[in-house]
Amino acid sequence: MIVVFAGLLLRAVVVLTGAALATFALLWHAPGDPALAIAEARYGQNVSKEVLDFIRVEAGFEDGFWTAFWAWLAPLMQGDFGQSSVNGRDVWPDLVTAMSYTFPLALVSLALGLAVSLPLALIATRRPGSWLDRGAVALASIGVAIPAFWLGLLLILLFAVQLGWLPAMGAETTTHSILPAMTLGFGVAASLTRIIRSGILEARGQPFLPAFTRRGVARRDIARDHVAPHAAVPVVTVLGLELAFLLEGLVVVEVIFARPGLGSFLVNAIFARDFPRVQAVVLLAAVIFVVVNLAIDLIYRSLDPRVSGRDA
Amino acid sequence: MRSVYVLVTVCALLAIFGPMVAPHDPTVIDIPNRLRPPGGESLLGTDALGRDILSRLLHGARWSLGLAFVVSLLGLIIGTTIGLIAAQGGRVADWIAMRATDTFLAFPELIAAVVIAGVLGASTGSLIFALTVTGWMRYARVARGIGLSVSNRGYVIQARLAGLSPLAIARWHYLPSLLPSLTVVWTGMLARAILGISTLGFLGFGVQPPMPEWGTMLLDARIHMRSTPLQMIWPGLCVVISVLAINLAGDALRDALAEQDAKT
Repeated sequence: MIVVFAGLLLRAVVVLTGAALATFALLWHAPGDPALAIAEARYGQNVSKEVLDFIRVEAGFEDGFWTAFWAWLAPLMQGDFGQSSVNGRDVWPDLVTAMSYTFPLALVSLALGLAVSLPLALIATRRPGSWLDRGAVALASIGVAIPAFWLGLLLILLFAVQLGWLPAMGAETTTHSILPAMTLGFGVAASLTRIIRSGILEARGQPFLPAFTRRGVARRDIARDHVAPHAAVPVVTVLGLELAFLLEGLVVVEVIFARPGLGSFLVNAIFARDFPRVQAVVLLAAVIFVVVNLAIDLIYRSLDPRVSGRDA
Repeated sequence: MRSVYVLVTVCALLAIFGPMVAPHDPTVIDIPNRLRPPGGESLLGTDALGRDILSRLLHGARWSLGLAFVVSLLGLIIGTTIGLIAAQGGRVADWIAMRATDTFLAFPELIAAVVIAGVLGASTGSLIFALTVTGWMRYARVARGIGLSVSNRGYVIQARLAGLSPLAIARWHYLPSLLPSLTVVWTGMLARAILGISTLGFLGFGVQPPMPEWGTMLLDARIHMRSTPLQMIWPGLCVVISVLAINLAGDALRDALAEQDAKT
């Protein structure tokens, strides 16, 4: 187990280094003079050549790709995300503020999605093929086809514009989070319902289950001891995709509802061509994503005795 | 399940012939007739610049669906090539190809696409590049997995011993067994590409105005949500219906393939 864990950890480190390199390479090859962009953002139009040269040296643009990459990576590994190229502020504190808006919303949406999808899938699979089951499947299929930004707009239209019940813009109070959480939670619920449902149906089809029934084991005990663990495996394996889905949804939802979280942080930084901020938030997303996937991998291995110990 | 294939065909036909049956030019600005309600001269009304919404939706099909088709096909070609190199090229090639795949999978795909398209500057070219670069990894994984399982079969070993080139083996022995699974992955990626294009368009990093792409149309319509809420309904509905049709067709295809597998 320890060997497997070390292997996975090493792989995560390799992947994250590659991710940092890919991010830096993209921004390095971005069109336009990055020094000019920085200078204009700081000092307005009509920047002198001396200022441009100074910025080039300061940001390490002069010394070529690998030197500049190292000049960014070395402090990063000590937790220094550098300064915004636009306003000169440290990136990290602003990033923390943004996270304080994003993480609670993400967790609430995930909880909301689970709270809806688990009972729905359980009710639906009680009688596969019944109208209840078909209705749940139809709802889930439509749910995964709705883009998060459109659902958000529709909810604003209904609850904020037409009915006037809930605020649409900003993040001052808890009520501001209701519509964003509904938007994200709906998408999570739709895709999880599909997955949990097919997981349960597949587990029910296992050939060893009739043996328990004939031996007189209670239905509830079979469900708890044999169906549930079996159904959990496919659900856990797709949780990583679910997380990606959630992070992607967060970006658009924060933009639509004008919440100052990581998504808005990223989009604003791209529009301002504030590359240190872009790099920071992209890498943070990659770290979160890789670490959570590592955790999921470990949970998966402990759930399914067939794969534990094997290097899959 | 037949009706699903009909719906997909309708979507495809609209993307191909939609612009030809559109009643008006989708980019002609007509300020006196702006924000008209549905009915009369324009069936679904006009937008904030007086452009006919129905015509914009029909032309938009070519952007939203056509670009998604291109992007998912490019991803298919690149991903399958990398997957087959990993499966056939020995341990070192396999390791490099798979760590590259992992690295690209380290970012949530759509977020990476937003960053790439945004940093390179909003244009159709960067949109295609962004979605292709972030959309080949699943094909690579599937192609490698099936490729590895095929590579130990007797007929492949024989072909190798007979001196067939790797390219010929890939064409005649790997591709036929890959095709069913890759088609199923492709439908999923096509649906994702439609969602990705409209999301990037909505954020302002996608197809640029005045071109009528469904996500870009929603970005315009959002400002006039109070006065003309219906404008916001149509483009979203188009996205949902096409994604739903493709997803259902993919499900039907997967079930049909599983049935076929069970028979043999």
